[in-house]
Amino acid sequence: MSELLIALMLIAGSGKGDGSYFRPSLPEIAPVPFSAADAREIVQTAQDRTEATSQHYEGTLKVIDARGRVSDKRWTYDRLGSHGRSKAVLRFTEPAEVKGVALLIVNHPDRSSDQWMWTPAIQRDRRIALQDRSTRFFGTDFSFEDLEERDIDQYRYRLLGEEPVDGAACWKIEATPTGRKVSQYTRSVIWVREDNYAYARVENYDGDQLVRRLNYQRIEQVQGIWTARVLEMHDVRRNSTTVLTLEKLQYNLPMHDEDFTLQALRRER
Amino acid sequence: MILLRLITWPYVRRHLARASLTTLGIVLGVAVFVAMYTANQAVLRGLEHTVDRVAGKTQLQVTAGDAGFPEDVLERVQAVPEVKVAVPVIEATLETGLTGQGNLLVLAVDMTGDRSLRDYDLESGDEAMIDDPLVFLAQPDSLMVTEEFAKRNGLHADSKIVLGTMLGDQTFTIRGIMKPTGLGSAFGGNLAIMDIYAAQQVFGRGRTFDRVDLALRDGVALDQGRAAIERALSPGFEVAPPSSRGQQFESIVQVYSISMNISSLFALFIGMFIIYNSFAIAVTQRRADIGILRALGAFRSQIRTLFLVEGGVAGLVGSAVGCVAGLGMGRALVGEVATMLEGVFGIVQQPAEITLTPGLLLFALVVGVATSVVAAYLPARQAARVDPVQALQKGRYQVLTAGQNRARRRVALVMALASAALLWLGRSSVPFYTGYVLAILAALLLTPTLALLLAEALRPVLRWLRPVEGTLAADSLIQAPRRTSGTVAALMLALAQVIALGGISLASYAGITDWVDTALNPDLFVTADPSLAVRTFRFPAAMGPELRSIEGIEAIQQVRSVRVPFRGGPVLVVSVEIGGLQERARREPVAGDAETMYRLAGEGKGVMVSENLADLRGLALGETIDLPTPGGLLHLPIVGIVKDWSDQLGTILIDRQVFIRQWHDDSVNIFRIYLKPGASEAAVKARIFDKFAGSRRLYVLTNREVRGYIMRLTDQWVGMTNAQLAVAVIVAILGIVNTLTVSILDRRRELGVLQAVGGLRGQIRRTIWMEAVAISVIGLALGLAFGAVNLHYILEITRRDVGGMNLAYMYPVSIALGIVPTMLAAAFVSALGPGESAVRGSLVEALEYE
Amino acid sequence: MTDSAMVELRGVTKRFDGKRQVTALHGVDLVVPRGEMVSIVGPSGSGKSTLLNLIGGLDRPSAGEVVIDGQALAGLTDDGLTRVRRDKIGFIFQFFNLLPTLTCLENVALPLHLRGWSRRRTLERARELLDLVQLGHRLEHRPDELSGGERQRVAIARALSVYPPLLLADEPTGNLDSATGADILALVRDLHERLGATVVVVTHDPTVAESCARTITLRDGLIVGDERR
Repeated sequence: MSELLIALMLIAGSGKGDGSYFRPSLPEIAPVPFSAADAREIVQTAQDRTEATSQHYEGTLKVIDARGRVSDKRWTYDRLGSHGRSKAVLRFTEPAEVKGVALLIVNHPDRSSDQWMWTPAIQRDRRIALQDRSTRFFGTDFSFEDLEERDIDQYRYRLLGEEPVDGAACWKIEATPTGRKVSQYTRSVIWVREDNYAYARVENYDGDQLVRRLNYQRIEQVQGIWTARVLEMHDVRRNSTTVLTLEKLQYNLPMHDEDFTLQALRRER
Repeated sequence: MILLRLITWPYVRRHLARASLTTLGIVLGVAVFVAMYTANQAVLRGLEHTVDRVAGKTQLQVTAGDAGFPEDVLERVQAVPEVKVAVPVIEATLETGLTGQGNLLVLAVDMTGDRSLRDYDLESGDEAMIDDPLVFLAQPDSLMVTEEFAKRNGLHADSKIVLGTMLGDQTFTIRGIMKPTGLGSAFGGNLAIMDIYAAQQVFGRGRTFDRVDLALRDGVALDQGRAAIERALSPGFEVAPPSSRGQQFESIVQVYSISMNISSLFALFIGMFIIYNSFAIAVTQRRADIGILRALGAFRSQIRTLFLVEGGVAGLVGSAVGCVAGLGMGRALVGEVATMLEGVFGIVQQPAEITLTPGLLLFALVVGVATSVVAAYLPARQAARVDPVQALQKGRYQVLTAGQNRARRRVALVMALASAALLWLGRSSVPFYTGYVLAILAALLLTPTLALLLAEALRPVLRWLRPVEGTLAADSLIQAPRRTSGTVAALMLALAQVIALGGISLASYAGITDWVDTALNPDLFVTADPSLAVRTFRFPAAMGPELRSIEGIEAIQQVRSVRVPFRGGPVLVVSVEIGGLQERARREPVAGDAETMYRLAGEGKGVMVSENLADLRGLALGETIDLPTPGGLLHLPIVGIVKDWSDQLGTILIDRQVFIRQWHDDSVNIFRIYLKPGASEAAVKARIFDKFAGSRRLYVLTNREVRGYIMRLTDQWVGMTNAQLAVAVIVAILGIVNTLTVSILDRRRELGVLQAVGGLRGQIRRTIWMEAVAISVIGLALGLAFGAVNLHYILEITRRDVGGMNLAYMYPVSIALGIVPTMLAAAFVSALGPGESAVRGSLVEALEYE
Repeated sequence: MTDSAMVELRGVTKRFDGKRQVTALHGVDLVVPRGEMVSIVGPSGSGKSTLLNLIGGLDRPSAGEVVIDGQALAGLTDDGLTRVRRDKIGFIFQFFNLLPTLTCLENVALPLHLRGWSRRRTLERARELLDLVQLGHRLEHRPDELSGGERQRVAIARALSVYPPLLLADEPTGNLDSATGADILALVRDLHERLGATVVVVTHDPTVAESCARTITLRDGLIVGDERR
């Protein structure tokens, strides 16, 4: 599912893609009766409501492993373009050992994204191969796949019912990848808040086994877009949790295409 | 069997020393075999274990010999639909510089994807950051080591360790410690994980990988996946399961095992004769016992079985002890084997523990018991034939007739003829080795006859030396050829092997010296690794002009060598500027015209192959060979065959430009440097170090050092000559002591009479000494003669199966001459004890029955 | 041949082939009836021992026939001959020919082991025999711990191991002082009487010869006297 992938990007919650997770605030719209066919509508609406031309934030990442040890990282995140076609650059700023390491993600509506990583110390960029997307994203509980934006058409949706999350009423929707979609997960369950169409929770399954659970917290309105400011990803198998906090979140800043290329990635900032 | 306890055990207890000597034969043979085998196996298993552990879930590996290939190959492999995961690997060894720690195997991988194939099983230290792949990648000095290595060297997370890299000494930081299971147990724990892009710099690899490890999609059969990948790549790539790397290594080591196996075979053969000899003695000594048993109603078969079972038990005990001794020897040997393989083949390995597998144990026991039983067969038959009447008469000894002497001679001659015929008949393995075995058997069967003839020839000589003692000694030999033939045969075999190995080393030295003089004539060699054969580190091509600009250097040649698969086996491809080679180190080809050869090879229109490769693979001048390279098949004719000793498995020499074109790789292993006339070696060496100080890892070897290095390797290779000589001496002493003991026993009355009629003790002693020396002379004569034949076969084996070295037949006269005094001295020493016992009544009594 | 004959020799000749041919026996005819005790006397080289070896199946005649207990030895293989020795004949030697490394018990048990008897049965029989020769108290001693007479008793016990019908003794007292010799002789006589065994004794000792019911005298390979008392 896009769920996880979305996680990070979503977090960022910029363009349409993110939309599927963070819905713009149109809170006064009363919930309407729905049918199974409406599940896709709900997700579509959620996606639409997060539409923005660009997004910027500074993220703080806290990984709490099974033994309770904590590690911190910080990065800046810029994203440009519409959902499914966006490009993003993620650049680590802390700790010192990883400062300057950057990741460029170029999403494609019809296939998996391209990802490159830049390591300034050896002045090398390296491609993150498609096959590696299910691996953990550098010691966090996110996988590379979780960083990807996926188009709404890559999944089939089914409404499972209603179930509150943290006291907020939610639709519970099952998303299953269609044939074209290659994913480490066989299905996901998404909770979408009925009041603002913001994603509240995503659970990813491999068969019957729950692999990762993403909780959206502190859902606030930023520039009219309902955005979770805290994302908590829990890796069930490792019993490890990563908490991402979005700071200095801004939508629709002016950004340039040429800043989202491999050449740009190699220019350290 | 109760008889064994009642009859044999008391005898063994009484003659414990001799019984142990008897089993020593088997102990020796089995121990040598077990030692060689376990040492080889330990090295092999070390590699296989490492390969296995390092492989993880890897199903297939893509390689291009050990040459490496450009990075884009990875994407081509990843694009193959059948491939699930494909990750790049650089594998290299590096000297830690830590005392007693030896080499560190560096597995350089791309951490982003590698975990889908390998589980690093990280030991989580206190510092959470150590398990952070991001930090690991971000910092090129990151190193992950095993818990074992860390413990041994007092390392922990964030410890610093200095390693020599292509950019000079570099400090690395431990950023991960692996548990000693799985991957962490590879290479004896001396394993380090590094980021592959960092490793490219550390080892001077440019933008290349050594290997791509991959797993196939579920449901894709191995062969299917393999075929798909092969289709996507050019023929220079090999796609094979990881286990095949072990097999390749095995085929390399096989060269070495063959010579080891021949040695242990000889040791067993020799052991067989020692056993035969000892049993023959036992039968003589226990003739009275046998007579009693026969009189009491023991069947011949019972007596025969008794001795055969004794032989079996001796074999069992001998091989059991041999196994234990062999394990000890193997342990001592394994380091040698590993060192030699590193020196000769550039394979750095961390041998596994020496272990005795049940299979090997069983095999050793079966071989030991079988050898012993075979050796005991003739004496057992003799024992069964003991005539009770004569045996029970005091002082009378039955002279056991030599039986089918004529038949045996006839068989021996037929065998000799057959083996000679086989020599002409065929060059393939079966007739050749059959011929060899037949030659050995013929020599053994002829031994009694020849020994008798020689003894008769010696008689006048001995008589002339000492009329009384000499005659007695010679007669003793002539009257009982059986007594001596076992010893003589064992001596002959041992000496023949000494001669053969001596001949090999002589010829190798001659050949190698010549090669070193003409081909290895640069004044200095600049290498990236202290071992010339290890190709882990490489220089960038840009270093060439920098070197050339150094004052005092007249010319440089850039050499890059890689081991690549060629027609089912590995060969060494050496690329060098052929023009420069022609100018500086010109050698006349064995086949082909020198001018044409150098011209065509230099223009990239042909390859030169070493003589050993031509021999091993049956290549002929003018033949066109297809060499698989990453840039496609290299289709070139052989324009010359040259003597070249660079590699045991054969060498193909190509022009550097061809290599760069085909392998897309312009790095350099070795710079050959010629100095300007009058330039000082030391000064230039110092200037080279100055120029690259701190920025390049390099070693500058002088011509003398390289020559010494090669000669040292040659010494190791032929060092078995000395071991074999030691075996010969042991055999001589053992056999002669045994033979003399029987001889004295048999002639007790004669010697007693001699003393009774006024023979001086000194005379008796001299008789015994002369007999011993005479045995040794006979053994020497036969051994040196059969050595000439054996040398031929061993040279042939060397040529055809051990590295294709075409060595000239040179009889090692100096070694042969050196053996003579050694063996005579050994004979004399072994005669001292028996000589004393012969003159001391009480001792004689002790040797005698009741 | 008569059923009652234990030993029957017909025209037995024995030649030794060497550089010089020696004829040890010249066409000897001899019948020893079952249960008889016979002594063979004669000077050195008269052929006594050769005769005994032929009777004992240790050697084969050059000509003539040897029949033991109704069985002609001529046609037998070596194993057949061995079987005859094993089952019908007990040997007593001048030099005892005990195995020095074995205890009395083991020496006596040896022929039984050769026959493949079970360990228990063997030991029972060996003890019984040693009791018979009054050495029941010396079971675990080795020959070198025994006197000459005792050693010969052990040898006799060994010869009796399977109660053979024929007992052959080669100078049984030759190596013993006269008193001990007399003891041994008494023992042999006693066994002869008690067990009913046929006994052939080769001897130099006139007292031994006289104690036998029949004495055969050999000279130069010919029987020159056959006297019954």
